[in-house]
Formats: sequence, structure tokens, C-alpha cells
Amino acid sequence: MEKIGLYLGCNIPLKAPDVEQSFRKVFPVLGIEPVDLPGATCCPAWGTAPSFDRDTWCAISARNITIAEGLGVDIMTGCNSCFGIMSEAKHFLHDKATTERVNARLAEIGRKYQGTSDIYHVMHVLHDKVGCEKIRENLKYSLDGLTIAVQTGCHTLWPSDVYSTCEANPFYPVMLKELCEATGAAAPHYSRLESCCGMGGMRSTDAEKSLVIFRDKLMSMQEEIKPDIIVTACSSCYMQFDMSQPILKERGLIDFEPIPTLYYTQLLALAMGFDSSQVAAISQIDRSAIIKEIQSEKRLMKEVA
Amino acid sequence: MIIDQKKIDEAIETVIGYGGEHIRNCVQCGACSAVCPGVKAGFPLLCRSLIRQLLNGQLEEIIEDSSSWACQSCSRCTEICPRGVRPQEVVFAFRRYQANQLAFSTSSITSQMNLFQTGHAVFVDPKEARKKVGLPEEPPTSAYDEAAQKEIQTLINNSPMGELGLF
Repeated sequence: MEKIGLYLGCNIPLKAPDVEQSFRKVFPVLGIEPVDLPGATCCPAWGTAPSFDRDTWCAISARNITIAEGLGVDIMTGCNSCFGIMSEAKHFLHDKATTERVNARLAEIGRKYQGTSDIYHVMHVLHDKVGCEKIRENLKYSLDGLTIAVQTGCHTLWPSDVYSTCEANPFYPVMLKELCEATGAAAPHYSRLESCCGMGGMRSTDAEKSLVIFRDKLMSMQEEIKPDIIVTACSSCYMQFDMSQPILKERGLIDFEPIPTLYYTQLLALAMGFDSSQVAAISQIDRSAIIKEIQSEKRLMKEVA
Repeated sequence: MIIDQKKIDEAIETVIGYGGEHIRNCVQCGACSAVCPGVKAGFPLLCRSLIRQLLNGQLEEIIEDSSSWACQSCSRCTEICPRGVRPQEVVFAFRRYQANQLAFSTSSITSQMNLFQTGHAVFVDPKEARKKVGLPEEPPTSAYDEAAQKEIQTLINNSPMGELGLF
């Protein structure tokens, strides 16, 4: 089985461990063995070292990468920010002078960046290494008849010149759409599919402005495709959709019930038959009805060995 | 506004020093602002408008503006820019100038402290939630790993961030 370093980041292991559990459940079945990266820190998040000093950012990212290098594995992360941050750091580290300066800092903690581990997003591993066919083969329930609004997130798309894997047209992403369709569900295009959810620095700087662009995106989903579920490949988008829809509802700014939101591997884990109390257990929006619908007897395809 | 060449040089040098190397390529076409979620949300000084101010030599004059901290670093701007400015890097260079002058919101200090102490910018006690979903209570990260925490503290202490007196 192919091993890959599972870089957890902050939000997933600390706030959304059900997403972490969904990684640990689905990947071994699909032929990928996630390996822990002991002592990994924050990537570091955009609002920390990258906002102060580029070499410090690169040193902290490089330290995380050295953990994977020591184990001889590539890195897979489920957080778009972590993917973006570490990929950009790696891009800066292609410059020899930068690597020398960063390695001088890493020498103080007995480490050396080599550049031998690549950075992937969970979505890339599923789409490119596992493939939609293998996903289809391992489903227990078919999601036929359900409509999904796809939310890819920003940091797997741009800037495409720093990523080891990217979409053919990052302004018209299709990977997550294809992964969702592999479950049997429909994942139609909607006009704001690639637009920003407003999480991140924008939300912490001005929550009201963030809510305005969030609502714009949400209304586009609802009015154009009326989804049963929103499925994200970004842990930040995941949190924004789960926490901000109830706010809009409470303020009377939407006239429909908050749409249940799942991280892609949660959707997949449910469709593969895993226990929702482990893989989709923590949310503000009540997801019990959609989970029951996904794992209903009428959707059973076959018993997975 | 009186345009002062000395101030322009100082602003450009500062931005380049903090990582906005390609600011001089900008022709103010506005493609970056057309795709920027922050501009769409109404932040006044991002992408084209921020670069205009900087190219006019305005630096101290805009140091208190919080727009740069609302940048999502999504890099739609960098993707679309026909001149290779990499505007996101210019926005971040300006943000670094602000940060190193301690011109940032006190709310962001929590993330710096969290990163320094636990290795996680976002930190909440995860034990109960992790147990609930059947995972070991402590994640295999720096959160409960003193040796890893010491490493991150050494890296930060020996960096320009360590000289700001935050830690």
C-alpha cells in the first residue's frame, strides 16, 4: 500500500476531528496508507509568520516538510490553507539562496530541508492517485438523486504556478465535481462555484463584510441548483458554511433552512458505510436527516468486503 | 497630493524588501481588483488601489488601514495579472511592513501566542471531541509534544518576529 504523510494542520485535528477520522477510514480502503507526521506544527497560517517575515514562514513550513522527508514520504493535507502555505514555501525554496538562509535557521534545531517530499491535497490524492473508478467500486450506498453544491476553496487553485498538481482551468475547477459525481450524486455548475466563501483573514478582519460575500455565494447555490448538501474540499470553507448559515438564518437574511455541509471525505465515508458518529459527528447545522438519507436501505449497492 | 520622488523610492524599496519584488511591473490595469474577493467585499486598499498608493509613495499615510489583513491570500490576482506583479505578494509585503511596525489588530496577537506556545495558530482543547469520534485524545502534532514546541520557539525567537517583543 502506498504510504503518504498525513499533515493535519490545526482546525482538523483540534476542531473537526471527525474530518480527520474520515481520512483515516477511507484512505486505507482505497489503497493509501496515511502515516502520521509526529510533532508537525501549524503550516504556519497566513496571519502568523507569513505576515511578518518570509524566511520565518519558509523555515516553519520547511520544518514540517523535513518530518515527511525523514520518513521518506510525500505530504497530503486536507486543509487548503496548509496546502497553499506549504506549496508556496516550497516554491520560494526553489531559490538556492533562500534554501541556504532557511537551512541556517533549521540548523539551530538540528534539521535540514532537502526538497524531496511533494505536497498534495486530499482532493488531489483521491482524484489523481486513487481515481473515480476505484471510489465507485468501494461505495456501499449510491447517492443517485441527490444534488451537491461543490465548494473547492481558493488555495488549491491559485497561484497555479506553485502547485505540484492543479486544475486545467483554475477558474473552472472540476476535480471535486468529478469526485462528488463518482458517488452517484449530481454536482451541477453554479455561477459562483469558484468564488470565495469569505472565511480566513477576511472574516477575522471584518465579519460583516465576510458575511456579505458568503451570502452572495450561498444564494447562488440555492437559487441556481437548490442543493441537498454542500460538499467542500477545504476545512476553512467547511467551517464557514457550517457556522455562518445559522447566523444568516437567525437574522432573516435567508428564507431557507441552513444546508447541511460535509467535507468530501465525510461524504465518501458515509457512502462507504462508515459510522456517522465517528466520521460526521460535529456540526452546528443538524446533519442527521441527510446522513440518514445517504445511509438508507434503498441506496444499498452491495456489501463492501 | 504632492508626489515626492524620495517618498516613492522609500515605499518601493520597503515593499521590495518585504517580498513584493515585482511591484514596479504594475500598469494599473485593474485585472487584480476585478477578481479580488476583498475588493468585492468593500475593503478600500487591496490590489490595484493599494499598489497605486504605494507607487505614489504613500506608506506611513496608510499604515493604519486594515484592508491588507483581510487579504485571503487566494492569489486570484497573481493568476490573472498580465504583468507578473504577483499582487498578493505586494499586499503581503505591505502587511509585513505594518506588522513590523506593530500596526496590526490586537486580536491577531492571540494567533502569534498560540503558535509560539503550542505550535498551532488555532488552539482549542480537542480531547473531548477527539474521544467522541474514536480518535486518541492527543493528536500526533506539536499540541502535546514539548520537543516540537521547543523547536518552533527556537525558530521564532531567532527570527525578526522574536525581536518584536511579543513573546
